[in-house]
Amino acid sequence: MIRFILADLRRLWLGGAVVVLLVALATALGVAVTLQERSLRLGSARAADKFDLVVGAAGSETQLVLSSIFLQAAPLPLVDGSVLTRLSADPRVDWAAPVGFGDSFSGYPIIGTTTKLISSTTPGFAEGKMFALEGEAVLGAAVNLPLGAEIKPMHGTAETGGHTHAGPAYKVTGKLQPTGTPWDRAILVPIQAVWHVHGLGEEHGHEEEHHDGDGHDHAHEGEENHEDGETHVESEAAEHATPVAGTPAAQPAKPAFALGAASSAHIEEDHHGSIDPDAPVVETFGASTPGLPAILVKPKTIADAYRLRQEYRTGSTLGVFPGEVLTRLYATLGDAKMILSAVAAGSQGLVAAALVLVTVIHVGQRRRQIGALRAFGAPRLSVFTIVWLELFLLVALGIGIGFLIGLAAAQIGAQLFAAKSGVILPVGFTREDMRLALVFLGFAGILAAVPALLAYRQSPATALRA
Amino acid sequence: MLSLKIENLAVSFPGLTAPVLAVDHLEIAAGSGVALTGGSGSGKSTLINIIAGLERTRAGRVFWGDQNFADLSEGRRDRWRAANIGLVMQDFHLFPGLSALDNILLPARLSRVATAELVKRAHVLFETVGLKRPEQHVETMSRGEMQRVAIARALLRKPGVIIADEPTASLDLESGEAVGDLLLSVAADAGSTLIVASHDQRLVERLGRRLSLKGGHIVGDTQAGEMAA
Repeated sequence: MIRFILADLRRLWLGGAVVVLLVALATALGVAVTLQERSLRLGSARAADKFDLVVGAAGSETQLVLSSIFLQAAPLPLVDGSVLTRLSADPRVDWAAPVGFGDSFSGYPIIGTTTKLISSTTPGFAEGKMFALEGEAVLGAAVNLPLGAEIKPMHGTAETGGHTHAGPAYKVTGKLQPTGTPWDRAILVPIQAVWHVHGLGEEHGHEEEHHDGDGHDHAHEGEENHEDGETHVESEAAEHATPVAGTPAAQPAKPAFALGAASSAHIEEDHHGSIDPDAPVVETFGASTPGLPAILVKPKTIADAYRLRQEYRTGSTLGVFPGEVLTRLYATLGDAKMILSAVAAGSQGLVAAALVLVTVIHVGQRRRQIGALRAFGAPRLSVFTIVWLELFLLVALGIGIGFLIGLAAAQIGAQLFAAKSGVILPVGFTREDMRLALVFLGFAGILAAVPALLAYRQSPATALRA
Repeated sequence: MLSLKIENLAVSFPGLTAPVLAVDHLEIAAGSGVALTGGSGSGKSTLINIIAGLERTRAGRVFWGDQNFADLSEGRRDRWRAANIGLVMQDFHLFPGLSALDNILLPARLSRVATAELVKRAHVLFETVGLKRPEQHVETMSRGEMQRVAIARALLRKPGVIIADEPTASLDLESGEAVGDLLLSVAADAGSTLIVASHDQRLVERLGRRLSLKGGHIVGDTQAGEMAA
């Protein structure tokens, strides 16, 4: 019987191939949607895993998470530096670290932060060591630069018309082990260097003992920044309306230096700062700490985390649990997935209907041949089995190939996504997919039974009628 | 080596007042050769279908030996036919993509009765019908060769009856004659009852008995000897 089926399929290989292809594509669509959505959920959850609480200035929660966890460059309003000071001193806080961004180097975001954050959120160094001086940088695992490389920060990104800061350059001292998060693509530098590049906290970082006397400096600095901010407003208000434009008006001392986009009108003179490559890294943040786009906080307990979030959700600050924000995003994603799944299911239904139609017609065309099989003594059950097996084999093959195509598509998607964002998306089949495959196969079995039943009911007498 | 006895057979189709076939009494002796003739609409095909068990007998009785077809379910009729009746048809009904030998064995294989012995018999039959290459695919054969394969297939399970429906109609004169010879000789060798529906006058003349049908009734029943006389 198998030989007969194979001979038949060989003869009808073109039609068979089209059936397999149709089924494979329809299956792949559904499988890819499921796999992609799942991997995106898992991958982003893993990326946010290390970050318990993020505090930023009042604004969009989603944007705060996207910028700080996923390092998506976007202009964020700044939170006052004193918030970091307060958080660092808070007994409920294990550690709090600033995150400063806005610059990039050959497509990699440059993130200003602290050694504490790096050592707490990464598995350690693959080579080299932590930065110790202001002019040193540590690379995420996915940054393709050698130790000792020179990094000239560019304001904004190349795609958005950024420009290279004239003076400063960092020297790479170490490379981290992979974390599977967007931070793998980051170039990590001391936060003070970011401030200094942008002409902030000039007097602050170098000598802490000047602390008491720098009131004037700060006033002055505020003024400068104010101007800086207004330059932004004038030159960019048209294109980058609300976040940037709104901030200086409301909080004049907080320029939006965390810019995803910098226009050419944004002249270098506005950043009159430069880094002192040999200055030691200082990680105590006094009252004069400049504004920050985001602060990552590691609370000591879960209760502390909730209390801190509550406290920092008032007024000008915004505390969020990245996990919670992501859950909300997933809900949106879930809706999108549902729509995509419905589309996939619809296409599968269409393919199934088309297959039934085609095979019923096919069986009709082979009425006499099927009748002849019966006439020569093939049992009815054999006829049923032949027709059923032929279609079932084709559809099952299509489903199998479809799962592989779906997997491949999801994997390619995940790779593209990882290359762009650094988030490792774990693509893989689970028990749930196994169930889906079984459901598909079961459905194929029922589908194949339709023409098989027709063949089963075929009278052998038809073989004789010419 | 089965004899046929038909009693009070009537085959009618819904919507038609007169039965398409009505046979009150017909007996065919075991081992004899019978030709069925008649134009289209004569009931010839219906009679073939009935005696081959391809169609259900609703009214009347059709005995092959002791077996009444009217008593059998469709599945059992199929099985009985597979074991006892060798069918040869105008259109051969060989299955492309399979070799000649596989075609001969296909019905037996689908019925799960293809023993090693039967496979050996298939080889022997292949030579009996005058063919050389058992592995040749049927679609590459001439029509005459194809009908030989079909005859070998009909003989595989040593049927007591061979029923041939226009076996030479789609062949040219020469191969038609050869196929006719072959049918007569294999039936004679096996002692099988041979029933041939045909328009082929020369084939008809070589059979011992001739039944003519018209309008669903047997209108002529002559022996070859009587014809000559």
